[in-house]
Amino acid sequence: MTDKAKRQRIRKILYWGLPVLAILTVVLAWVLFSASHPELMPGPVAVWNRLLRTFTKPIGRINLLGHAWASLKRVLSALVFAWAFGISFGILIGWNRTARAIFGSIFEVIRPIPPIAWIPLIIMWFGIGETAKVLIVFIGTFVPLVINTSTGIRAVDEINIHVGQVFGGSRFQILTQIVIPTALPHIFAGIRTSVSSGWTTVLAAEMLGATAGLGSMVTKGWNGGDMALVLVAVITIAVVGFILSTLLSKLEKVVCPWNN
Amino acid sequence: MEQLTKKMEIIGVSKTFFNEKDYFTTLDSVTFDVHEGEFLVLLGPGRCGKTVLLNIIAGLVEKTSGSILYDGHEITGVNSEVAMVFQKMALMPFKTVMENVELGLKFKHMPKAERRKICQRYIDLVGLQGFEKAYPSALSGGMKQRVGIARAYANDPKVLIMDEPFGALDAQTRYAMQNEILRIWGEEKRTIVYVTNNIEEAIYLGSRIVLLSQCPATVKAVYPIDLPRPRDMVSPEFMALRTEISNNTDLSI
Amino acid sequence: MAIDQNDLQRRHAEYLTRKKKENLKYTLLSVLGILLFLGIWQLASITGLADPKRLPAPTTIFQTLIYKVGNTAPDGNTLFVNMLASLQVALSGFGVAILIGVPLGLFMGWWEYADRFMRPIFELVRPVPPIAWIPLVVVWMGIGLQAKAMIIFFTAFVPCVINSYTGIKLTSRTLINVSKTFGASNFEIFYKVGIPSALPMVFAGIRVALGNSWSTLVAAEMLAASAGLGYMIQIGRTVARPDIVIAGMVTIGATGAVLSGLLSAVEGRFLKWQTRH
Repeated sequence: MTDKAKRQRIRKILYWGLPVLAILTVVLAWVLFSASHPELMPGPVAVWNRLLRTFTKPIGRINLLGHAWASLKRVLSALVFAWAFGISFGILIGWNRTARAIFGSIFEVIRPIPPIAWIPLIIMWFGIGETAKVLIVFIGTFVPLVINTSTGIRAVDEINIHVGQVFGGSRFQILTQIVIPTALPHIFAGIRTSVSSGWTTVLAAEMLGATAGLGSMVTKGWNGGDMALVLVAVITIAVVGFILSTLLSKLEKVVCPWNN
Repeated sequence: MEQLTKKMEIIGVSKTFFNEKDYFTTLDSVTFDVHEGEFLVLLGPGRCGKTVLLNIIAGLVEKTSGSILYDGHEITGVNSEVAMVFQKMALMPFKTVMENVELGLKFKHMPKAERRKICQRYIDLVGLQGFEKAYPSALSGGMKQRVGIARAYANDPKVLIMDEPFGALDAQTRYAMQNEILRIWGEEKRTIVYVTNNIEEAIYLGSRIVLLSQCPATVKAVYPIDLPRPRDMVSPEFMALRTEISNNTDLSI
Repeated sequence: MAIDQNDLQRRHAEYLTRKKKENLKYTLLSVLGILLFLGIWQLASITGLADPKRLPAPTTIFQTLIYKVGNTAPDGNTLFVNMLASLQVALSGFGVAILIGVPLGLFMGWWEYADRFMRPIFELVRPVPPIAWIPLVVVWMGIGLQAKAMIIFFTAFVPCVINSYTGIKLTSRTLINVSKTFGASNFEIFYKVGIPSALPMVFAGIRVALGNSWSTLVAAEMLAASAGLGYMIQIGRTVARPDIVIAGMVTIGATGAVLSGLLSAVEGRFLKWQTRH
């Protein structure tokens, strides 16, 4: 009896102790490594101070939040277009076999080119202005949307279409009132991927040339040997990415309330 | 007494599926009539051909040969006078109970107020009042199939096709739903074509039973059931009929 | 019986011809789509609608591709040297990520204590986009093969772990309990029941990892490299040679598609082998 209680106690200690131990290990490793190699890896205190300085001495007159917003704005404007075109295109090639044959093949040819590989060409075409960056992010977000949407449309069980036919739906009614809503969880998965892909692509676009945005902060820190600034930017990137994915989960519950 | 008006005639219907390598016949010259207002049960073993036959009757699947007459006229394509209750329920998970039931009427562009009124009647009829705004995921299996039944009735069909509608339900619920469907059939006189693989269910429900054979399905025999309703599953007449049909059935059911 | 076997055979033959015709039609439409795309592009170049200094014609790009096979200008390497450089980096980082990530994910998913320890660390690293690792790793390790392989490792590692973890967590409770009643040890259940049932998810993770590796590689090579396809297109831009850039993009896309095709082949083998047992 006491033996069992003892074992349960050990279990409980391990259960809550291990995560704490893990975090402590990471922090300790960071502190030790930064103490011995401050030029390679600034310590937590240095990073914190650098974070504060992004507000007292803003980079390019834009503070940290301003840079984050600059990146976010590019992603959001690209997403508006990508959602509109990507979802419609995905529906088209998912629903209509002829359209899939004609346009799907072109899409399949272009698709394996990573969005980042478009950056040099887009810069040659449009310079390094906002249009170029939004376009690069658009390419990065368009592809997963099309793939997920068309897969979702094609994965709709035939019985759902039979239901539509039995109850007298036209082909268009069946598409809009049965097939698309049924595919919505798939489409949402595409939206989710598009957001994280967009967030990655915007960094790449900004790292290759921008005066504002978290990616430009990374490059600035990197070129200036200011590793603390690089870390501040990377941590901010991770935090914003995390917030975006949390918001999307919430949004999904609102958009697909039946899917709890 | 049954009226003997022929509502539908299924004449020599065969269905063969083809694929790259092979072909497979599931229905072989199936012939029977559906009488106006009756509760016709198609009883068949295993998983052969029954759903395909129903899909052909509803016009969802093309037949390989044979013809289907509705009120004496040949029908091709989806028959708008026929509604169906599906084996897998096939409710739209993103629609509430009310929205699922009004699907057919919405397709016909009936004004909202009018279709809500009609649908409410059928939701009440199947005993789902209070659940109009619930999503199917919140309902039990039996309740889901009630939605399926209300959806079919709301479309005002002349013939109602039911494909093993209670096959996925537990025994208790199934028994309750059998009585429920008989009550609804009594209140809303429509022709019902009901598929099952369960002999007791067939004898309990049917005005007539069309017994189908193993693959490929053919009509083995037609049994009119004259037992008075409500039927007693342990009465000698019921048992005798059960034995008779059972002896004539291919393999075990 | 009323069904005539001869008639059915005739119908089957009819069905096969109809199917063949249909397949042919859609294949032709696909080819037509691509030809149309290239044709409009070519036409735009010929008529001068598209400035050849910005968008060279497909034929020009093809010529550049042929030229790059034997010539090193302008980036200093032939196409194959660049391709090999990229493949070497991508595949080594990717390979190490699979070797470490998949077992780690499986391990985390199966043993609770491992999960409790590894998960917090993992959740800290996870939201960092692959590209953000580039500057850190370059500062730590320079721009050599190891550094780039390390960057690829980070990007491929995360999906390998997540999918293996999720896959093995989804192992059916019933299967585990059945194995327990037959007296299997925890480890036996892990590798005889857990791993096989996690495999499809593991492969899905590996697929994502491959895509990540290839695209991050391009980024890494554009930012810091002296060879590779990403380097080639970056140089193509600085010397204002869009034909080099597009030829590089085509090679990157084609190589990526081949890699993903190879992975599908391996996956098909593996999963088929699994179902047979």
